[in-house]
Amino acid sequence: MTVKFNNRDPVYVQVIRHFKEQIAKGFFEPGQEVPSRRELANQLKINPNTAQRAYKEMEEQGLIFTEGNMPSCITRDEAVLKSVREELIIEAVDLFLGSIKSIDVPLSEVLKLVEKKYEAESGETEESK
Amino acid sequence: MIEVKNVNKKYGRKQVLKDLSFTAKKGEITCLIGINGVGKTTIMKAIMALTPINGGEILIDGEKIRKDSFEKITFIPDTITMLPQMKIGEAFTFMADFYKSWNPQRAEELLQFFKLDPTERIANLSKGNTAKVNMLLGLALDVDYLLMDEPFSGIDMFSREQIAEVFTSHLIEERGVILTTHEISDIEHLIDKAVLIDNGEVLKEFSVEEVREREGKSVVDVMREVYRG
Repeated sequence: MTVKFNNRDPVYVQVIRHFKEQIAKGFFEPGQEVPSRRELANQLKINPNTAQRAYKEMEEQGLIFTEGNMPSCITRDEAVLKSVREELIIEAVDLFLGSIKSIDVPLSEVLKLVEKKYEAESGETEESK
Repeated sequence: MIEVKNVNKKYGRKQVLKDLSFTAKKGEITCLIGINGVGKTTIMKAIMALTPINGGEILIDGEKIRKDSFEKITFIPDTITMLPQMKIGEAFTFMADFYKSWNPQRAEELLQFFKLDPTERIANLSKGNTAKVNMLLGLALDVDYLLMDEPFSGIDMFSREQIAEVFTSHLIEERGVILTTHEISDIEHLIDKAVLIDNGEVLKEFSVEEVREREGKSVVDVMREVYRG
């Protein structure tokens, strides 16, 4: 697991985003155990306090849960899992719209281009950024 | 917690620390940032009582430094202090003789981690490996606080990555670390707190995650504002 972090967003927010992406992609399955705080810090090369903060936040958002002294797991709550996927899609679309609007292109032209590019790219290997 | 309160320090007529204050918590990595010659090393020496101060006070967990404090706090200078003709293993014995807090198990673990050979003479080590041994000698002490002077300067990229990895591991966890650096970009993600220093004064002291969260700024962004703004 390697993640490229930027220096301007809080690292814990970037860690949560990484988890959401993994959940949306189905890489993390419902109920799957997540690495311990210490393992996560080590894998992602981040400060253990930051890993702790990310887990605390994800717990509050219902993305992960911990029972007693057991390791934390990805939620089994279908509604939460669905909303994670939706949230990421909407975010990406909003971002796209923002940049496309600033150059004033008609929707039909954009959609055609999106379709064409999307099909061409899914032929190649799918790589998350 | 280490509290540096209104510390003044003069070398002759030259005032090198001016009413300097900051704190460093246990369980956090605090980074003193500033170009060469702003007083970073002097601050560390002052905390360790290796140099007298001309005013102010320094407290470690609420107490002034005493003889037995050195079992609780250690200083890793930027050059190794062991005799060059010693083998790494001999340096371990030396440390064990001097410090009750020396943890031979951890020393062994670190030896493996850094892939060092204990029969090697310190004088024959590369610069990167010398830095690793130096680091190891401090990390293998069961102390609450570690002060590290420029742990990343002048060593190759891979050694630097390896040393940085120490900061994400249980070797540092729960302990308080103060480190100095003039090149922050490599380790921005690793630190909890930054203290920007210039001319013996603290220009700004901040939690790096908080500044990212509130202002969307990286440590380098803040430095640019503070030093050049």
